[in-house]
Amino acid sequence: MTDVKSDKSNKSASGWSRRDVLKASSVGAVGAATPMFFTKNAWADGHDAIGNYPVKGSEVVFGFNVPQTGAYADEGADELRAYKLAVKHLNNGGGMLETLKPSKLTGNGVLGKKVTYVTGDTQTNADASRTSARRMIERDKVIMVTGGSSSGIAIAQQYLCHELGIIFMCGLTHSNDTTGKDKRRYGFRHFFNAHMTGKALAPVLSSEYGKDRRAFHLTADYSWGHTQQESMQQFTEAEGWATEGNIMTPLKTTDFSQYLAQVLNSDADVLVLNHYGANMVNSLTNAVNFGMRDMQKNGKNLEIVVPLYSRLMAKGAGSTNIDGVLGTSGWNWALQDEGSKVFVKAFTDEYGFPPSQAAHTCYVQTLLYANACEMAGTFYPPAVIKALEDFEFDGAGNGSTLYRGVDHQCIKSMLVMKGKSPSARTSDFDYLEVLQEVDRATADYDPSIFPGELGPYKPA
Amino acid sequence: MFDLSINAFFMQLLTGLQMGSIYVLIALGLTLIFGTLGVVNFAHGALYLVAIYLAVSINDAMGFGMALVLVPTILFILGLAMERGLIQFFYNRPHTDQILVTFGLAIVIQELLKWVFGANNIPFAIPSWGNGIILMHEWFPFLEGFVVYPKWRMILVVVSIVTVSAVFALLHWTTFGLVIRAGMRDSEMLQFLGVNINRRFMIVFGLGSLIAGIAGVFGGPVTQVSPEVGMHLLVPSFLVVVIGGMGSLSGAVLAGILIGMAQSFTAYDINLSTIIIYLITVIVLLVRPRGLLGAKGVFE
Amino acid sequence: MNIQQGFLQRNKAVVIFALIALTMPFWFPLLGGYSGLDTKIMIFCIFVVGFDLLLGYTGYLSFGHAAFFGIAAYTTGLMLKDFSAQIIPAIMVAVLVSTLVAVIIGLLTLKRTGIYFSILTLAFAEMFHSMAMAMLQEWTGGENGLTGMPTPMLAGIKMQGDAVFYLVTLVAIIMFYIAKRIERSPVGLMMRAIKCNQQRLEYTGINARKYKLLTFVISAMYAGLAGALMVVYEPFVGHEFLGWHQSGEIVIMSVIGGVGTLVGPMLGAGFMLYFENVLSVDLGEQWLLVLGFIFMAVVIFMPGGFMEALSRLYKRIKQE
Repeated sequence: MTDVKSDKSNKSASGWSRRDVLKASSVGAVGAATPMFFTKNAWADGHDAIGNYPVKGSEVVFGFNVPQTGAYADEGADELRAYKLAVKHLNNGGGMLETLKPSKLTGNGVLGKKVTYVTGDTQTNADASRTSARRMIERDKVIMVTGGSSSGIAIAQQYLCHELGIIFMCGLTHSNDTTGKDKRRYGFRHFFNAHMTGKALAPVLSSEYGKDRRAFHLTADYSWGHTQQESMQQFTEAEGWATEGNIMTPLKTTDFSQYLAQVLNSDADVLVLNHYGANMVNSLTNAVNFGMRDMQKNGKNLEIVVPLYSRLMAKGAGSTNIDGVLGTSGWNWALQDEGSKVFVKAFTDEYGFPPSQAAHTCYVQTLLYANACEMAGTFYPPAVIKALEDFEFDGAGNGSTLYRGVDHQCIKSMLVMKGKSPSARTSDFDYLEVLQEVDRATADYDPSIFPGELGPYKPA
Repeated sequence: MFDLSINAFFMQLLTGLQMGSIYVLIALGLTLIFGTLGVVNFAHGALYLVAIYLAVSINDAMGFGMALVLVPTILFILGLAMERGLIQFFYNRPHTDQILVTFGLAIVIQELLKWVFGANNIPFAIPSWGNGIILMHEWFPFLEGFVVYPKWRMILVVVSIVTVSAVFALLHWTTFGLVIRAGMRDSEMLQFLGVNINRRFMIVFGLGSLIAGIAGVFGGPVTQVSPEVGMHLLVPSFLVVVIGGMGSLSGAVLAGILIGMAQSFTAYDINLSTIIIYLITVIVLLVRPRGLLGAKGVFE
Repeated sequence: MNIQQGFLQRNKAVVIFALIALTMPFWFPLLGGYSGLDTKIMIFCIFVVGFDLLLGYTGYLSFGHAAFFGIAAYTTGLMLKDFSAQIIPAIMVAVLVSTLVAVIIGLLTLKRTGIYFSILTLAFAEMFHSMAMAMLQEWTGGENGLTGMPTPMLAGIKMQGDAVFYLVTLVAIIMFYIAKRIERSPVGLMMRAIKCNQQRLEYTGINARKYKLLTFVISAMYAGLAGALMVVYEPFVGHEFLGWHQSGEIVIMSVIGGVGTLVGPMLGAGFMLYFENVLSVDLGEQWLLVLGFIFMAVVIFMPGGFMEALSRLYKRIKQE
């Protein structure tokens, strides 16, 4: 009997204590952990807390999440240079602060707080970019996250930031989805998109190469590639071109000869490479090796088109390969407007070489966010979002620009670029020349052609 | 869609041959090292990476001829150093450890090269004598109309054939080759017979590395020069080794061409072309576990 | 008598793990950690514990465990999106699907051993990855990943912040406890016997294949559970979940922690994620290079991983 009793008491004692330890520690942990993140101490200057608002202390932190490892690391490095420059200008004046109009930026921080920043590595991996963004948001208390060098990464972070109530200012992302199907209230894109590329490029192509052309598309098999191909097909067909074929190429492809063999077998006289980064470098180089630049089809010169151009890609492919090839860019350091000139000068003074288009869009995004906070008079995200929506500005390098409210896409002028021949180049940063500036009205489009909802101003 | 005209067929054939050539060149070194030393070298892709960076740098500075001489030589020395400095300590460790340490080394090499040369692609200019296209319809009268193929890719195929032949000749017609082949069968017995197998193993590793050097000089303009290339080639090359049978040189050649052809002929359908290489691996390993030409009992 | 005391005694490791895990929100921020990361570490603890049952006890090195992780993650995502925001049915279906896939792959691959097994699992996983990227893009979102899920719910509780952490940690503790039980069970004995000498085991008339398959499926269930929880933690599925880098990362975590110890791989998971997300910030662009060096050093000098280092240290302290 006694044995049983003692056993029982023993059991209950030990069982109770075990459960109690768990319970007590978890309750304690919840209690202690709560103040460490998302302190919902409401009603600071009349607004409830969202994300990392209200900003405490005399500093405000921005989060710069760029690719530091992987294929886009060089582009990421240039983005980071631009961000650091933007922070410098926000705190001390200079750069585009002198040309941006209208602007409430003082050159003395934002809303009286000094701007500081933290950096992260997206690894061009959606999961890694989200974990990195979370670190900035939860540990470093950033009020805004910006960066990225591909659309998948931008979209992944845009969703995360929307959920956590942090504004995300996209870096380089060109897919229609970013401000189309996957648009988010907390995400903003200054860069142009695939649809705008098609709209701007197709008329130039038909005036350069004629209306009676047959195009063959090679398309990277992911969302950006698909939207780029659709847009190019739609707008070139509107110009009277025929579409001879389209092959989806896996993103991991490094050798495109099996696809080029099929292009050569068709009647096409224009090859459209809907590729970016390493894909584009490889497919263009392969095409040149196949002699496509010196070939005649249907009695015309066979032409190659690269809808989205960047300086790093052009450099990677080599100027003998890109000589004369047409494509589009958002911005180029050779532009002669006031905004571009001061930005290029400030960047070159700081780093010794001119900025890339990725650097430009990242720099402008940071300034636009800071300016919206000044205009709203608060860091309260819904107010900042409203200040950015339908904001009309000038002096940031693309002429008069609208941050469209319904889809958070910047509507602005853009560039049709042409690859320079090796002899025409003046420096290691001079690979592309501006063939034509396409004005804002031409690039503009009806946002309702894309599905998607921005979602609420206050995150769920 | 799938085009069965003679022209299309011929082009796919050439493309398959050419893509297979690169796989063969990389897999040859891998399988040689595995067959003799029993080491699974995940850093082999990184050796190729070193080779293409060296090749493009030397090519730009001193011309292609110097690259052709220097790169395989440097790679040979690098291979010896790698065997003495790291690999020899792993002969008696499990394959898992070999894979892991060489994988770590591959990351280190890749990141070091990225640090020095940047992540962006470096254009590798083909020497003028190799530039341009070959008019295939002039050589093969059965082709209809106009069929061209890049000259450099044909050179790559020839280089690959020459290299494979040289390795076979070395192994079958020299005393060195005889000892190596005996070592592949039973290294313990050879040591009992008083043969210094260690020194020869070191040379085999250097040889595998040297082949990666040759692959880099001729493959660089085709695979391009960026830090990702090594890892991109590693998995397919490794699958080639396994499909061919680990340690089998002729198996690697056969499997390399097979994979190249399979990728070329499925290009019209992305769903098939992305999985074809894995599909072949699974089928071969399930039906014939030792690989196409693998020796019986090796890792079965 | 004293069954309960025995319980505590026998499960010292589980209790210690529970204490460390549950108090993580207190001490982790002191090391520069943050709440999203501790949850992720717990999820990967579940993943590696299951992986270690396979690698550490039977000696089978799978290079394709990302398949189970990713398939479960996609299933959970689609369940949350198209069926219900409730996580229980989503997790159950996800684990079930990855278990079924594991049975099929296990039956096919376990006939082979050594490097051939590794390559076969790698090939299967890469096939799934390629399919998610191309053929099944409509469902998986391809390169962009699967997005647009509602906030996951457990009954009436939103699965955000602390709620996710405690749910995941609780599951991790339970799964660790189960793994410990398996380790001590007759099945655990068989697993170790398979690693030692499979042939001899079969000569004794024991069906080794049955136990191999059982272990393989159990470890896939762990991976599936981790994959499902990953989506509960963050309603997003990246195609990277299926990639060979993910499989490789799990191998690396297990090895630097010390395979065959269950605890070691969890240490490895914690270290890797901490390094990748916290220390990497201070190292800047070259963090991957440093990680490569550390990884090589561990494999060369400490084949038993952190656990070996700890036990050596323990012995030395004891001697003095």
